Amino acid sequence: MTVNEKKCKGITIVSLNGSLDAASAPGVLNSSSALTDTQSIVIDLSGVDFLDSSGLGCLVGIARKKREQGGDVRLACLNEKLRKVFDITRASRLFDIYDDAEYAAGTAAKK
Amino acid sequence: MKTLIVIREADYGWLTPLFPGVHPLVMPICNKPFIEYLIDFSILAGSTAVRIVSDGPLNDVERYCENGSRWGIDISYASILVDDDLDAVMDKNARYCSEGRMMVTSGFIFISYEKKHELKPFVAMAPAGTLLRGSTGSLLLTGTPENVGEVREPAPCSLVELDSIGSYYRLSTEILNERPSPYVLPGYSNEPDCHIGRNVVTSKGAEIIKPVIIGNNVQIMKGAVVGPFAVIGSNVIVDRESTVSNSMLLDNTYIGENLDIVGRIAYGNILIDPASGVSIAMEDRHLLSGMKRDGIFGLGLFRYLFHAAVSLLFILLLFIPYLLLAPLLKIQGKWKNRTMTFQGVQQGKNVIVVRPSIAGEGVLSGLARSLSLDRFAMLFSALSGRVAVIGSFPVEAGRHQEAATSVLMPGYRPAVFSYAEAEDWPVNAEDSSIVERYYAVHGSPVQDMVLTVKAFLNRIHAQDQP
Repeated sequence: MTVNEKKCKGITIVSLNGSLDAASAPGVLNSSSALTDTQSIVIDLSGVDFLDSSGLGCLVGIARKKREQGGDVRLACLNEKLRKVFDITRASRLFDIYDDAEYAAGTAAKK
Repeated sequence: MKTLIVIREADYGWLTPLFPGVHPLVMPICNKPFIEYLIDFSILAGSTAVRIVSDGPLNDVERYCENGSRWGIDISYASILVDDDLDAVMDKNARYCSEGRMMVTSGFIFISYEKKHELKPFVAMAPAGTLLRGSTGSLLLTGTPENVGEVREPAPCSLVELDSIGSYYRLSTEILNERPSPYVLPGYSNEPDCHIGRNVVTSKGAEIIKPVIIGNNVQIMKGAVVGPFAVIGSNVIVDRESTVSNSMLLDNTYIGENLDIVGRIAYGNILIDPASGVSIAMEDRHLLSGMKRDGIFGLGLFRYLFHAAVSLLFILLLFIPYLLLAPLLKIQGKWKNRTMTFQGVQQGKNVIVVRPSIAGEGVLSGLARSLSLDRFAMLFSALSGRVAVIGSFPVEAGRHQEAATSVLMPGYRPAVFSYAEAEDWPVNAEDSSIVERYYAVHGSPVQDMVLTVKAFLNRIHAQDQP
C-alpha cells in the first residue's frame, strides 16, 4: 500500500494505492499525519484495488476520530469494486462520497 | 446528454413493507422493471449515459442493469447521504455532471410519454429548469440547450407519482389499457393487448381474456380464467378452476385451486388490496404461496453441513467446562436461563433459543463468559439448522422497531457468534452491521470456520482486557 499526499484548496488529499486490508490497514494510519490530525481531508481511493472488512474499519476509524475532533473525511473516486463493498455493507451511509477528489476538496474548503 | 436518476429510501418507504426484499427500481410494472421505463425515456430523450444515485442499496439494480451495454448506454451508480439535497448530489457527481446537458429525475416517479412525439429535439431545445414537478418528485434539465429553437408546449411527457400501492396498481392498469401502448412491453405479441412470454403452458379448458400480459414459465391449469386486465409475472402457476382478473400476480406466485383473485396484487404469499393498501400473508401453501424457498437459514446444504460440523466441534470442546461451571454458577445464582425469540432469516419466522445470562465479576463467571458458555445451548440450535454458527447478531423479535428492516437486509442470519465478534475494530452496532454484511457476501464455509474460531478467541481475549 502506498500513500501519497497533495494539497488542494488548503485541504489535504490523501491518495491510497494498492490493497487496503488487514495487513496494510495498520500501516496506513502511521504513513501520513494528515490521517490522524484534526484537519478535514479527502481520501482518494481510485488506486485501491482491494478493500476488506479491516480496510473498511480503518476508514471508519479515521472518520470517527476526525469527526470527534471537529474535522471530517470525504472519500473520492471509488472504483466499481470498492463502491460495491460500500454499497453492500452500507458503509456509504457514513461518508460523503464524491466522484472527483479536487471537487471534494473544494467543498470541504468551503465548510 | 446524460441522465442522473436520484432515488431515496424515503421516496419508496411505503413500498418496502408490502414487497419485502424487492428494490423499487426493479419492481415490475406490466412485467417490465420500473428502471427500464426510466432508461427507455432517457434514451428517447437523447441520453448516452445514466447514473443511478441513491442513499439506499443499489446492488439489486446493478445486478439487473449491469453497465448498461444491453441498452447501448453507460450505466453507473453512486451513493449519497440521506440529508443530501439535489445540489449536494450534483456536487458529489461533479465529474459526471460537468459535461454539457443533464437531465435529472428525482423521486419515485414514472414518466409517461408519447412515442409518436419526438422527445429528443424537445429535451435538446428546452431551457434549463424544472420540466415536470410533482409533490414527491421532479424532472429537471441543467446546462445550456444544445439547439435553439421553438419549444413545443406542452411537454410531450407527464409525471406520475408513485406514492402508494394504489398509484402503482393504477399505473399498471393504465399501461395495460393503453392502445397502442407507447411502451415496449416484454413478451410475444401477435395481437394488441396480449403479451405472452416464453414457456407459457395453457391447459385444455383454460381461458385467456384480453387485455393481458403473461411472463415466462407460467402454467395456467385446466379451467382457469386469466384476464381481463391481468398481469401475470414469471414463474407463476394458476391452478385449476381459478380466476385472475383486474389483478397483478408478481413473479414466483402460486395461485391454488378454485380461487377468485379479483382486483388484487399477489406477491408470493402476500395478497394486497390496492384500494386500501391492506395486505395479508397467507400461511396456507395450497392457497397462495411463494415458489421460492430459501435453504436452511438461507444457506446451501454444503454450508449448513459445515456449520453443523463446527458447532459439533464446539459442543464437544465446551461440554465438560459447561458441566462443571454451569451448575456451580446456578447455585451461586449467577447463571440465569432465558428463552429468547429472535427474528429468523425469513420475515415473520422466529427462532426460539435458550441464551443464559452470566452475572457477576467472579473467577467462575469470567471463565464461563470467556469460554462462551452462554452460547453453549445455541450451538444445539446451530446443529439443528435453526441458526448459523457464525453470522449476524440475532435481533430480538418484536423488540426493536428496526427488527423488521434488519431481517430484510441482505445476508441477515441469526447465529451463535457474530462476524463482528471475529473482528477487532467494530465499536458500535453500525460497525458490526458493516462487518456482518461484508462477510455475508464475501464469506465461504472455510472462512466461516476460521472466523468462528477467531470470534471464540476474541471473546476469551475480551475477558482478559481490564
